[in-house]
Amino acid sequence: MKIGIPRALLYYYYYPLWREFFTQLGLEVVLSPTTNKGILDAGIKNTLSEVCLPVKVFYGHVSALADKVDYLFVPRINRVEPKAYICPKFMGLPDMLKARLQQMPPFIDTAVDAGMDGNPVQCWVDCFQEVGSKFTHNHQLVNSSIAAAFRTQQEFQRRLTGGMLIPDALENDCVPEVAATSQQNYTLRIGLLGHPYNLYDAYISMNLIHKLQSMGSFVVTPESLSVDEIEDEARKLPKRLFWTLGKRMIGSALNFYASKELDGLIYLTSFGCGPESLVEELVARWAKQQGNLPYLMITIDEHTGEAGMVTRLEAFTEMIKRRQKHENHLSSHGEPLHSG
Amino acid sequence: MDLFLGIDVGSVSTNLVLIDYEGELYLRPLYLRTQGQPITAVQQGLVLLKEQLTSEDRIRGVGTTGSARSLAGVLVGADIVKNEITSHAVAALHKVPGVRTVLEIGGQDSKIIVLRDGIVVDFAMNTVCAAGTGSFLDQQANRLNLSIENFGEVALQAENPVRIAGRCTVFAESDMIHKQQMGHSLSDIVAGLCDALVRNYLNNIGKGKEINPPVVFQGGVAANAGMRTAFEKALETEIIIPQHFDVMGAYGAAMLARDQTSEQGRETRFRGFKVSSQDFQNCSFICQKCPNACEVIEIKQGKELLARWGDRCGRWSVTETEAGCVPV
Repeated sequence: MKIGIPRALLYYYYYPLWREFFTQLGLEVVLSPTTNKGILDAGIKNTLSEVCLPVKVFYGHVSALADKVDYLFVPRINRVEPKAYICPKFMGLPDMLKARLQQMPPFIDTAVDAGMDGNPVQCWVDCFQEVGSKFTHNHQLVNSSIAAAFRTQQEFQRRLTGGMLIPDALENDCVPEVAATSQQNYTLRIGLLGHPYNLYDAYISMNLIHKLQSMGSFVVTPESLSVDEIEDEARKLPKRLFWTLGKRMIGSALNFYASKELDGLIYLTSFGCGPESLVEELVARWAKQQGNLPYLMITIDEHTGEAGMVTRLEAFTEMIKRRQKHENHLSSHGEPLHSG
Repeated sequence: MDLFLGIDVGSVSTNLVLIDYEGELYLRPLYLRTQGQPITAVQQGLVLLKEQLTSEDRIRGVGTTGSARSLAGVLVGADIVKNEITSHAVAALHKVPGVRTVLEIGGQDSKIIVLRDGIVVDFAMNTVCAAGTGSFLDQQANRLNLSIENFGEVALQAENPVRIAGRCTVFAESDMIHKQQMGHSLSDIVAGLCDALVRNYLNNIGKGKEINPPVVFQGGVAANAGMRTAFEKALETEIIIPQHFDVMGAYGAAMLARDQTSEQGRETRFRGFKVSSQDFQNCSFICQKCPNACEVIEIKQGKELLARWGDRCGRWSVTETEAGCVPV
């Protein structure tokens, strides 16, 4: 029995959890290939024009798996923490897919909902209990598979907070291009905000991470922060954000500012993302208040011309380097630090 | 005389500037139309320059900028290939030493550069949309049967500029047609259009930026007196337009080339004016090695492969022996 998992959207957060669960149940997990032109084209063809790029890409990945698997795992993810929702487009994902795509294998679209006072673990346990019962009556097997899945996911998260980027942490399973570059010999430390399905999809992000690294930047992403670190900062907002992913971006941005270790901040957003249109504005304003931390926003959509992005990244990193040179230059003309 | 050449190959114009060691202009800068043929435009520019040079003149360094900077860089053998932001900032600083804001509107691009103490501290460029750039003005002038050169003068005669939606080119155009049909005067419409572009620029590109004087306005669109007035009205400050506002990118590239070669004290990589008569072939092909189907561009001079780009994986840029384009 083959279970298809599209390499898109929340795959980047949860793949180890999902893969381990199904594998332990004795099912074969089939992952769609890394995003390519064919996948993007298929996605664009099958979606309405107003959805965001990552959702279009998700459609493409679903199409790529359609005739290769017996089931498609597309959980209906509503809430993965209490009192906050995932993006509305994700909640309706199974319905959107069914409305536009024909001749699909059956979906496993069990809901994941932490409710008003559930928790990030229990919501997945509940989901997996239900999914497991579709395939086996062996409760013990389901339970042990769930336990194994969480162990794998924990290991994955431990690697991320240890500073690994998602593709490296997924190892063997994922994008080799980004994974291959080591983060050495850098002169700048750049914070990179954005949803993982944009940042780490080397095709739609036009290999942004690699480009930054090759310009001499060490890249820090929200994944290097623990949930608590993000939450502590996000709590400082006058009103708690009720979008889980948007809150993650804000909390990370605030943490980055507070740590004062960055030379600049880049926010990668996809055109047409509702929550982000507000969050990016908040982040930009904070960047300004934090002693004018250099800040750059890059919006991606379906265009494939890289020139615009390269120009911006080049100008951005150069601006920071010149600024630093200038500041060092100034201080060397100031009062001597040690007299005599 | 020792000279430095700056080449800015943009979507609409290709500009060439020669400067001396002091950064002073030598000869008149060239402003040519790119017309979708960057290679030819650069070659033409070189021919025109060469005609005016004496046997004593030597090119000691070359810098390229603009959206076709890599292509131009390969073609002429540039010592430095730099993005437009840096080039424009360097040139503006040279002309107006204390400049704190640079507004630049070109053919397909518009940008704002914020400087403090001679250093770029912030910048923004227009997003994917080219609304409110020179190309749009060009088109509308054409539609109104005005030459783009007279556009600004007409705008200045306006008494009551009409309000035109500046958010999107398509909307702006239908708005403008509507105002024409209603019977507003040409100058009021043209001035309204300038106001709309400025509003759009300040809301989009200038959003959240501290625009402090001295403000320098450069790029091809600065030729338009209507735009200058609209900016002055909106920002309530004097707008400085440098003498060679339309070739500032190339000017900056020339200065960067001077700094680069004199700092490192090395010979220029300039391939010489013979470049203008050499035969370059550029062609593109779609790589079939993986589903990404990258559009790879190849520049050849005779049989010699000068450069390739456009591939995501880098196989074409590296494996130079592999056959790329199939000769037609």
